[in-house]
Amino acid sequence: MADATIAIRTRARWAARTPASRRGLVIAIILHVAIIGGALAMFFPFLWTLITSITPGANLTSTPALIPANPSFGAYAKLFSDLPFAQVILNSLLLASVTTAVQLFTSSTAAYAFSRLPFRGQNVVFAIYLATMMIPLQVLIVPLFVELKTFGLLDTYLGALLPTFASAFGIFLLRQAINQVPRELDEAATIDGAGHFRIFGQVILPNIRPALATLVVFSFMSSWNSFLWPLIVLRSPQLQTLPIALAGLQGQYISQWDVIMAGSVVSILPMLALYVFAQKYVIQGVASSGIK
Amino acid sequence: MKRKLVGALAVAGVAALVMTGCASNPPKADSGPVTITYTNFISAGANEGNLKKIVDAFEKANPDITVQVKTIPYSGYATAQQTDLAAGTASDVFDIDGLSNYQSLEANGQLAELKGVDGKVYNSGLLDTYQTDGKQYALPTSFSDVVLYYNKDLFDAAGVSYPTSSWTWADETAAATKITDKAKGIWGDHQPVTYNEYYKALVQNGASFLSKDGKKAAFDTPAGLEAAKWLVDKSGTTMPTIKQGQGTADFDTNLFAAGKLAMLHTGTWVFGNFAKVPFKWDIAVEPGNTKSASAVFSNGIGVYAQSKHLAAAQKWAVYMSSSNEEVNVRLDTGWELPTISDSAKLATYLNKGAPANRQAVFDAAKQIAQSPSLGANSQAIQDAMTAALIEAQSGRETVQQALDSAKTKIDALLAG
Repeated sequence: MADATIAIRTRARWAARTPASRRGLVIAIILHVAIIGGALAMFFPFLWTLITSITPGANLTSTPALIPANPSFGAYAKLFSDLPFAQVILNSLLLASVTTAVQLFTSSTAAYAFSRLPFRGQNVVFAIYLATMMIPLQVLIVPLFVELKTFGLLDTYLGALLPTFASAFGIFLLRQAINQVPRELDEAATIDGAGHFRIFGQVILPNIRPALATLVVFSFMSSWNSFLWPLIVLRSPQLQTLPIALAGLQGQYISQWDVIMAGSVVSILPMLALYVFAQKYVIQGVASSGIK
Repeated sequence: MKRKLVGALAVAGVAALVMTGCASNPPKADSGPVTITYTNFISAGANEGNLKKIVDAFEKANPDITVQVKTIPYSGYATAQQTDLAAGTASDVFDIDGLSNYQSLEANGQLAELKGVDGKVYNSGLLDTYQTDGKQYALPTSFSDVVLYYNKDLFDAAGVSYPTSSWTWADETAAATKITDKAKGIWGDHQPVTYNEYYKALVQNGASFLSKDGKKAAFDTPAGLEAAKWLVDKSGTTMPTIKQGQGTADFDTNLFAAGKLAMLHTGTWVFGNFAKVPFKWDIAVEPGNTKSASAVFSNGIGVYAQSKHLAAAQKWAVYMSSSNEEVNVRLDTGWELPTISDSAKLATYLNKGAPANRQAVFDAAKQIAQSPSLGANSQAIQDAMTAALIEAQSGRETVQQALDSAKTKIDALLAG
């Protein structure tokens, strides 16, 4: 009954439209279909992950059944029974949080200096900072490892964290953002008697919130997903992070794909939460700084 | 590519760091309790508990030695190993990922010579893999290999006698030709037309992929041509063509499982695929032409040249590769095959059911077609060889033309 009423109403509205607005509607429908199609294509890998995680004894060589025959959450239980999974998640959270917090501090203060405190050779120093972004970690890993060995920091959290404390990318991102803040605001604050610390804390930081949120997401994500460095530095099982524990589920010949995928699903959740929370700022931040 | 760069850097660093010749002293037993470290990838994934059983048994038998196990995912093992060696932080005992890993470790002086190891305990071919100039620098821990699977029912129906270890290529071709019945969709043989099969076929024909100094391709000989034809000429006569699906993933095992393929060249790791087939099947050592040679994949275990506890480390390496406890844990749990020679100890595996001739798995490992060390351009060389063979298989080039162009390309790649 209700459906019929709606159908009648819809037909009535369609008839009431002018040809121009009809064309607009058709275009809107086409666009929506295209966008929904794109979204589904993007979403499909995650769906596959999810389906594999609840398919016992799944393998990746055959096409997945969209509805598994015997869905089971056994793989999730196995994560916690086979691995010190709670410990592993805590380790990852700890490393990612500390990295993010420290990077926010070092990047924002350095960016402030590069933007607001002119000094000789500023551009050269900044260029050198940027140049470090172009050296892949793989090249640095042996010297870095030897260096940390000399400090006695192998197999410690600090050893895993230290190289992540300063981020050339973060400094670059925030410097661009601070450059956008009108200098008149600083000058007004100076007239009111504010020093650099107050200008930094009360004028600059509130104005670059989108960039800060972007940095939070980027640095948390890179620490959360980081594989190579933690793999090399952290050897004790109780210090291991998520990506390494997940890689450990893949043997030389045999891999427990359902458990690996269950672990992947769990590992996506914190990033998803962070992203949903910071989404609004991230889009602003990326749009205003022109960085992807 | 990046990983290779790291590898090159690590090796360069290592060469500077390591004193040469420090492996020549026989290990003296430590007095008092010692702790040795063991870095492994073989237990990663599913066998951590099984490794612990072996460690516990070892510590019980050797109360003075404690083994501290560090497990690294296989995917990150190469990087971790290179970093550790460059920094001098490698464990006393560590896993070796097959022949090429062994060769680079040995060449860089990272492995202590293992003296006084009882070689008779091990499968001879596997033991040889980890020897250089007659000296033992590492021990094999597990292996798998490629054998000839055959469908007994198809052989019986065609009235052909089953493959034996004394078969040659001619026997295989004759049987395959007799069994092939294209009208019924029955094929006699399947062997991938790839670099991996080709280097092995060369050894089976008394030839080799590389020249003795390893600097040039050496398959431009009559024996090399014959080996290439051995693979290529199956296509369309006794083996399905590329058009019919040959070469796609799982095509060969599916065809065999469907009862439409009489002989299949593949690894011992697909036994499980044929556990429930409605026909009888067995395996044999792959036929050679002038000699028998099989593709064998093994993992090894070595002692770090700079270990401070060489005696205890060697004891563990021997235990982890040949003790009864290790053999039993592996056989009981199906954790790859042990590398020992005594068939009495392997009885639980040998008598496990189809295939009946499980002894062939161990016999194949006695005569190994070792994979050539191709250097930095290894992958490109393998790809070039496979591509050339497929050109010949598809009929776009003659076998001779394909080999000629492959040699030109591969010589250039070997030169760097």
